[in-house]
Amino acid sequence: MSKLKLASYWGSACGGCDVAILDIHEKIVDLANAADIVFWPIAVDFKYSDLEAYEDGYIDVCLFHGAVRNSENEHIAKLLRQKSKVMVAFGACAITGGIPGLANFKKKEDIFARAYFDTPSTQNKGKVLPTTVLQMPEGEIDIPEFYKDVKCLADVIDVEFYMPGCPPTSEQIWNVVLAIVTGQLPPVGSFVGCEDRALCNTCGRTKTDKKVKKFYRPHEILVDPDSCLLEQGLVCMGPVTRAGCGNQCTGANTPCSGCYGPLSGVVDVGAKFIGALASVVDTDSPEEADKIISDVLDPAGTFYRYALPGSLLRRAK
Amino acid sequence: MEKKGFEPKIIAFLCNWCSYGGADLAGVSRLQYPPNVRIVRVMCSGRVDPTFVFKALSDGADGVMVAG
Repeated sequence: MSKLKLASYWGSACGGCDVAILDIHEKIVDLANAADIVFWPIAVDFKYSDLEAYEDGYIDVCLFHGAVRNSENEHIAKLLRQKSKVMVAFGACAITGGIPGLANFKKKEDIFARAYFDTPSTQNKGKVLPTTVLQMPEGEIDIPEFYKDVKCLADVIDVEFYMPGCPPTSEQIWNVVLAIVTGQLPPVGSFVGCEDRALCNTCGRTKTDKKVKKFYRPHEILVDPDSCLLEQGLVCMGPVTRAGCGNQCTGANTPCSGCYGPLSGVVDVGAKFIGALASVVDTDSPEEADKIISDVLDPAGTFYRYALPGSLLRRAK
Repeated sequence: MEKKGFEPKIIAFLCNWCSYGGADLAGVSRLQYPPNVRIVRVMCSGRVDPTFVFKALSDGADGVMVAG
């Protein structure tokens, strides 16, 4: 049997997923023994032309991280889909849009105006904006088209597996790599490297039925290390977030920000979290409830931090 | 076709035991009311998840009413 062929690519991403893969440390040598890496822009020197030269289905498993922000992301996603037998949407950005997806709160024109005209460090007297094709004395330059919104990977290609996290933890990456190498992958469409239950199930903190009169930001209070963060008035996304991260944040007195994404069957994580948050508000009067909820800073950005393009809100209209 | 004014589509989530009972009574009493409201009966208004509201609005409802 020939060696397994792996590819990894970043679309609109920060590179943290690549670092998380490298964080398997010396096991990367075991990985290299078990599989050939045939495309991985951040770590291995292959060009797009090498990828194009592969025959269809040449790559066994492709780990695609990053959202689809521009035409280059989409083009390479489609190319990798054609060349890969199994496509894994790797990390929050590829699954639900992730942090880059927060740009969907603004329109393309607003983003361009901010980036190219309004920022204090920008001097752009000619009001020049990027264009997809530019004629220069040396020839024509192509620049990828900036789409009007950020898309999830599954919006542009078929995806076999989803591996959540921002980034997925290195332990979970190694577990999934082992599953790939030994051919023990679950049914197509599954989430891998995580659990199918909420983070609260794996949280060791004591939960009571305590309700809150005020919400706080983490620096505003001394956090009790033993009791539920939500019941202490911290906006913890644990109730609506998939478990599997090893409770790294809640274990360090920091509320969950929801990077492992919504649970199976949830169509809109923000709506679910509104329900969860409302259930701990301690009041019977609508006015007081309004006041308590208004303590939550940037609710939309907090509840949809990793999942705006994958939610019902999707983008600014 | 005659041009009409704006006719909103309103999705109403009504509690089986009170507001749905009220709507039912309106029917039995033959009260006339505009057809803009589309009623979804729930066994308790506490059953209404914010997702239902978002979903109704994103699928084209102009307004959502939760009564109970």
